[in-house]
Amino acid sequence: MKYLLSNKFKKPGWLLFIIGSIAGIYLQLQGFESDQMRTSVISLFHYDSFEKEKNGIIRIIKNDILDELIIILIIIGGLLISFSKEKIEDEFIAKTRLDSLAWSIIVNYSLLLLLTIFIYDMKYFHVLIYNMFTPLLIFIVRFHYVIYKNNRS
Amino acid sequence: MKNKIKIERAIHDFTQADLAEKIGVSRQTINAMEKNKYVPSTVLALKIAKLFGKPVEEIFFLDSDD
Repeated sequence: MKYLLSNKFKKPGWLLFIIGSIAGIYLQLQGFESDQMRTSVISLFHYDSFEKEKNGIIRIIKNDILDELIIILIIIGGLLISFSKEKIEDEFIAKTRLDSLAWSIIVNYSLLLLLTIFIYDMKYFHVLIYNMFTPLLIFIVRFHYVIYKNNRS
Repeated sequence: MKNKIKIERAIHDFTQADLAEKIGVSRQTINAMEKNKYVPSTVLALKIAKLFGKPVEEIFFLDSDD
């Protein structure tokens, strides 16, 4: 399979992913509110329904960047875990990788369909937040489970 | 497709790890082939046949499902 990184990126991937996940759980326990990392950021297509005079294509605004940092950590970590080669990357591993990718997309969107029908309002917003990470998470769990199971039997 | 990799391995007294190393794949791949969970590529089948010194169809053969 093309697009794979060297195996040495896998461990740093786990590190970023775990740090991001723990910080994410912490932020969720705080009710997604944090005021520790307020800084100036570039906001494209800025729209504020309360202060319309601040709207514009490119604006500098104040924002707490903890949630952005957590998203970046989890996504980069997850991509590194998912797309770094195994120690021995051969055709069976490649097939398992592709099967697991298809499996995770099917499971992820089936769940999303179900939750779209049954979850509303702010709870659905939370579903969308988790859905940013679940395709990678489901893939990582399934891929490693299949390899682990094959290793034992 | 079925295969006689396990039998050939016993004849040559190779472990799964030995065979994996000799043909440059992971041990999981050998295990998956022996359990008929994975059909190898033609290249891999030819490598295995060459290592055991037999024609490929003496090690790999079609199953009734194929």
